[in-house]
Amino acid sequence: MDKYNDTPVKLMIYPAIFFMIVGMITGTFLAFNAFIFPDYFSGEYIHFGRVRPVHVWHVAILWLLSANVGLLYYFVPRLCGVTLWSPRIAYVSIGLWWLALIPGVYSFPTGTNFGWEYAELPNALGWLPVKPMMIISWILFAVVIMMTIATRTIEKMYVSLWYSMGTLFWAAFTIIVGTYAINWVPGGISRVNVSWFYVHNLVGLIFTPLGLATAYYFLPKLSNVPIYSHRLSMIGFWSIAFVYAWIGAHHMMHGPISQWLQTTSIVFSIWLFIPVWTVVTNLFATLKGNWEKYTQSAPIRFIILGTAYYLITCVQGPLMALRNVSEITSKTDWIIGHSHVSLYATFSFFAFAGIYQAVPVISKKPLWSEQLADWHFALNLWGSLLFIFPLWIGGFLQGMMWATWADGASYAQFHNNLVNLPFLATISEMYIWWVMRGLGGMVVLFGNILFAVNIFNTAFLKVPAQHSEKLSMAANS
Amino acid sequence: MSLHNAMHNIEKSAIFTFIGIVLLFSTAVIAVLVAPNYVEQTWTQPTNPYQVQVYEVADPNLYISRAGGDNRQFVYHMKQDYTLLAFQETETLRIVATPELERYVTRNGDPHLKLTARLLMLRPVPLPLRDREKKLQLELQQEWEKQHPLAVHEKLPKPAFQIMELYAPEGSEAFALAPSDSLLENWVDKDYTILDGAAKQPYHLDPGVIYVANPIEYRAKQTYTSWGTIWLYDPRGEAVASLQQLTNPPMNFVSRRELISIGEHIYNIEGCWYCHTDQTRTLVQDVVLNGSESFPAPPSSPGEYIYQEVTFPGTRRIGPDLSRVGVKRPSRDWHKGHFWAPKTASKGSIMPSFKHFFDDDPSGGAPQTVGVPNYQFEAIYQYLVTKGTRITPPTEAWWLGKDPIKTLEIIEGQRKLP
Repeated sequence: MDKYNDTPVKLMIYPAIFFMIVGMITGTFLAFNAFIFPDYFSGEYIHFGRVRPVHVWHVAILWLLSANVGLLYYFVPRLCGVTLWSPRIAYVSIGLWWLALIPGVYSFPTGTNFGWEYAELPNALGWLPVKPMMIISWILFAVVIMMTIATRTIEKMYVSLWYSMGTLFWAAFTIIVGTYAINWVPGGISRVNVSWFYVHNLVGLIFTPLGLATAYYFLPKLSNVPIYSHRLSMIGFWSIAFVYAWIGAHHMMHGPISQWLQTTSIVFSIWLFIPVWTVVTNLFATLKGNWEKYTQSAPIRFIILGTAYYLITCVQGPLMALRNVSEITSKTDWIIGHSHVSLYATFSFFAFAGIYQAVPVISKKPLWSEQLADWHFALNLWGSLLFIFPLWIGGFLQGMMWATWADGASYAQFHNNLVNLPFLATISEMYIWWVMRGLGGMVVLFGNILFAVNIFNTAFLKVPAQHSEKLSMAANS
Repeated sequence: MSLHNAMHNIEKSAIFTFIGIVLLFSTAVIAVLVAPNYVEQTWTQPTNPYQVQVYEVADPNLYISRAGGDNRQFVYHMKQDYTLLAFQETETLRIVATPELERYVTRNGDPHLKLTARLLMLRPVPLPLRDREKKLQLELQQEWEKQHPLAVHEKLPKPAFQIMELYAPEGSEAFALAPSDSLLENWVDKDYTILDGAAKQPYHLDPGVIYVANPIEYRAKQTYTSWGTIWLYDPRGEAVASLQQLTNPPMNFVSRRELISIGEHIYNIEGCWYCHTDQTRTLVQDVVLNGSESFPAPPSSPGEYIYQEVTFPGTRRIGPDLSRVGVKRPSRDWHKGHFWAPKTASKGSIMPSFKHFFDDDPSGGAPQTVGVPNYQFEAIYQYLVTKGTRITPPTEAWWLGKDPIKTLEIIEGQRKLP
């Protein structure tokens, strides 16, 4: 009999990979249909505003969060040395999760948007209370994982467990604040403030700790090298817990909100350098002296490239909170590039690595094709460069163009600048960058289809005879 | 399996850290959830009395016909002791009234506007007074001939003056046609008196008030059809007596408040906010982008948004900022053309078209170049024109150069915006 029950892992990870492909197809469709050939396919249900949340919810929730939950079901029992506390509750949780999210996400084109960013899920679809179902699903998931940790036989808690426990608590809290408490405060900017609190905690207190928990577990597993410093990882965890909750307001730099709040959020944003540097140092230093492993394994390359992107996104983030940087970058494609580099190029890469390690173990078969995994990495590397850098460059240039309206000393001059460079002229300047973004997106999509094929074949194909040796190895790991 | 491992080996420093985190996290939550009500007043304060009155007095009581098309009617739901009314003669309008009501009329040339909270209305002069009307018409036309001898010489037709009777309807509420440009309400903040003594409503005490100018009784005629009794607009019908007549089919009037709220919902579900920001930031480029030819737009203040269920400050400007669109693009016709075909209406735009804001011609005519706007168009239009038009009273508006924040002085002096 197996020591660990891996059915919950499969029930989360396999659908998540499918939805990643759907979500990335949606994203590529938008890159072309909304930007390169704007409104080519036109209509009430497929224009950009209705389809964008479908893309965001596919890649952020149906793929990334679901994959991370699946990986948690995988490594928490293994770090605790016990099987999952109650698989039955886990099944209920997973059932509620997909039952709520799939109809919820696919209802956006019909006009069910809740109206707050990253909280678009409607409260209910007819008789189906999708949002409460999602929250209950999360709470059940938290109970299962917490009880698994509480009943563990391995006493020492590895950093991944700390990050997981933090996420379980923060996520439940953040989601309730962002979807219910937002209606308890007066309308207007008060709600906007709650919304940004929710949005940034979603990224910082859910995706970040889940992603880091994954990286901290799978990098040592994949490379067979222990983590560089347990103490450093602890500093990283506790400092992120310290500073994160206060930085949401930096989304409103120069906006209609009190200056004291803007300044406070800048201070806390800058403090984010502490957790980031500890994590980046720790992950890079783990491979110190073992860099040949980088060349041998695609999943390790994903974690290291993800860490490099994590460094970039986390240098950007605090600096973008500064008033003078925000003046240029805010409201441009730079922001879109920034959000993709964190959720796609960092945490999705970590999740890829985790799945590459976990799926052969849970299906007791070796990876179907190492070569395909290499291609998957290569296409994601070049695709992400082609996809994200144009967004940064184009966004930066657009911000600089907008700033030219402020050249001069009198209003006549300012207005003259605007007449010479109208807003729409700055949009047409973006065309070439949007084309590159679309092509980069296609490369990434193609790479990830290879990944999906690879994982599908690993999980569901019969193992060819010549692999029987590897099979026994995988079973023993 | 026991729980004794759960708290294994937790150091004292870890406990202190944990307490610190809980404290900091809860202060963040307090700042987010409690501050709006108890700490930061600026997030919930209205920007001025005009904003309050237009949202709370005008919007819920101004009804707009929903039947579609461009022949919109604006009908004011007037209430005794609540709605302020003005009866002001113009060059072409003369008002006749009984001696008792005479004092409510502001005669042509009177610089002092007379307002009343008493429920009064204008209507076509009724039969018993027709003689008086004819006499007055004659007098006015003779007066006009005297003033325009050249026109008489060239035998131009004489103008027909509009002569209405001021009367007091029965009951405590009434419905009246009230011409509106849907952008700005009638607002007076100097040289006015509210007749009949004390103010009847708190807002009557504000340093300025919204009023309904020259309301004309709204009349409808009962018609019998196969699907029941319906009411249709007819100037020779009888006065509309209840809100249901107005809001039920086929007249289908909707209050402007409801339209704005539907408009906000449409703005939400169509995802307008993914491409348009709704904030003029405290940056020179923003106040210039949203400014008029002569004056910069003042930066957005928190008070502008307090009447919204959902607020869309936005993260990305793929399209221009909309926080001052009611001032920059007030024209309904412009929005009609733009929603129908944005790429044609503004060159270089990548906005998708919103043809579902339009219906086919209900009369079954030949297909037209632009469809007939339906209530969705009306709603999103009404929502959009609230943007930037309600931050100051029309008499103190920034587009007249009377910006309360002095944005122009600040950016020309290169001082920091507040």
